[in-house]
Amino acid sequence: MSELTTQTPQPTAAELVDWLRGRVAAQTGRPAAEIDADVPLNDYGLDSVYVFGLCAEIEDQYGIEVEPTVMWDNTSLAPLADALLGLIAAR
Amino acid sequence: MSGGAARWPTGLPGVLDDAIEAAAAPGGPFHPATGARLDAREEFPADACAVLDEHAMARAYVPAELGGVPGGLPELVAALRTVARRDVTVAVAHGKTFLGSVPTWVAGTDGQRRALARRVLDGAVVSWGLTEPGHGSDLLAGRLTAEPTADGGRRLDGAKWPINNATRGDLISVLARTAPEGGPRGFGLLLVDKATLPPGSWSPLPKEPTHGIRGADISGIRFTGAEVPADALTGGPGDGLDVVLRSLQLTRTVCTSLSLGAGEHALRLAHAFAAGRAMYGTALLRLPLARRVLGRAAASLALADAASLLAARAAHCLTGEMSVVSAVVKAGVPEIVQLAVDDLAELLGARGFLTEHHEHGAFQKLERDHRIVAVFDGSTAVNRASLINQFPALARLHRTGTHDTEGLAAAVAAGPVPPLDFGALRLFSRTGCSVVQALPDAVGRLAALAAAGDVPPRVPELARALATEATAVADAMAAARPAGRDTPPGDFGTARRYERCFAGAAAALLLLADPGDQVRVTSLTAALERALELLRPGHEAPEEAYEPMLETLAEPAKELIA
Repeated sequence: MSELTTQTPQPTAAELVDWLRGRVAAQTGRPAAEIDADVPLNDYGLDSVYVFGLCAEIEDQYGIEVEPTVMWDNTSLAPLADALLGLIAAR
Repeated sequence: MSGGAARWPTGLPGVLDDAIEAAAAPGGPFHPATGARLDAREEFPADACAVLDEHAMARAYVPAELGGVPGGLPELVAALRTVARRDVTVAVAHGKTFLGSVPTWVAGTDGQRRALARRVLDGAVVSWGLTEPGHGSDLLAGRLTAEPTADGGRRLDGAKWPINNATRGDLISVLARTAPEGGPRGFGLLLVDKATLPPGSWSPLPKEPTHGIRGADISGIRFTGAEVPADALTGGPGDGLDVVLRSLQLTRTVCTSLSLGAGEHALRLAHAFAAGRAMYGTALLRLPLARRVLGRAAASLALADAASLLAARAAHCLTGEMSVVSAVVKAGVPEIVQLAVDDLAELLGARGFLTEHHEHGAFQKLERDHRIVAVFDGSTAVNRASLINQFPALARLHRTGTHDTEGLAAAVAAGPVPPLDFGALRLFSRTGCSVVQALPDAVGRLAALAAAGDVPPRVPELARALATEATAVADAMAAARPAGRDTPPGDFGTARRYERCFAGAAAALLLLADPGDQVRVTSLTAALERALELLRPGHEAPEEAYEPMLETLAEPAKELIA
């Protein structure tokens, strides 16, 4: 499926965090400005399995395949973005 | 009906069916009077389980490559259903070994898998300890700890309760906290062999009285410094939640067999009653209202059967989609069957509730037993929450109509399933749910078949109506914003509707795959009628819609004639 997705150019870490922040804001109904990249997503109400929805959006947006457990190994947006940048660069 | 024991006349389900039939003679362990007596005394059905052991039921719990039956999950579903249609309690009591073993099939090393397969084939009882007192369904709330010991093993402290076969079990797979802070990476799964634990390091917790499955060993276990070796760990020390969630995708699918069996049992009892009951100078069975109730219940079972069969085949053919499929059928199938059982109970009147009359109170027993099916292995609410979590992805994929064409073609075919690739189970489906997403495409193909006179014209009409409902459901799913807490009640209603779309789509796709089989087409058409009734409030199927199902109902079995 990933090869059918329109390629989004390689983002910078800041751009990626901003995009992720927007998705978390949309999913939780909070203003994006309130989402701190170093606070666990769990604190915003995204429980362990609810982060998988974000994972699906990441796959669609950046045309990569992500193991859902990447969301458990990186519980806040800053480390998550770091983990994803490598995957996006390797597309 | 498709998917029943008849599909494996020479396989395990057929063997079990014959053995159970023989054991249902007066005084036998599967005779209704025996079941009623044990149920009243809350006594474990040990003799009935021994019959299943004698006929190697355990082969259905083990993957084919490790010495199990060749038919995989569909054969297991058919085998357990064969047991459940005589006694749900026995099926629950014996089938638990599959649940306890699955984590090892999913995440065990080659050595662990081979060792457990040997034990299970030798008749070991395996239990699965997830829940703890006071923590409900929240897997991450568990307090039982597994701390590392000096020799590389783990020391277990804490209790698991209420657990099916916790006391009878030889082995128990335990979800334990491996990191003090817990969280999704703070739990591990350990397979504990009770015989190897030092005396005094564990104790059983007493059996809990239950409303249904009263004879089952629903108890608990407490560990006090119980040391287990390093190789007790299934997967890594932080893999517990991952392994449990993927294992549940299989166990929840298999749970549908209990509903199918209970539903068949209920239908058989009600049909026999109606055939033998004189009313207004004729048999109750000849009265239109009774015919409608029986026919509709049979259609409900055909619908539940289609959903269950396709789900069990999907485990082998659409493995990566089981996060959706298993939640859909675990929530949807017991509910569809329960509605049918409730209708049949009304037809039976007082006999449905009396414990010592009419077939030794078999109906009220199965009715109580079946209510528990909706609760264990993740309640209906838990499964719907898991489905709601996947709504945005499902809505997006439904709109595109994309689906795994190859996997779906294999899933709907009648041939043997490929081996189950346990490693392909995913926590979140990347391709959504091909069964539902393929429905619009199936409408066109069914219309072509109808135009050629190969299927009744009513079939594409029904499929088109279902596809319209599915689109409306997808729109509702797109509007949802799942975040884990405070899920709006409306989303649970949307989840229920999606489950019914899945069941209807399963019936349509199975019909499309084999339009030449007239009996099956009749049954699946009635299933489509029922799916539409369940999806459209106030809609009732045409007057004669369920009448053909009466003809497919078998003659009442011998032991049911009073």
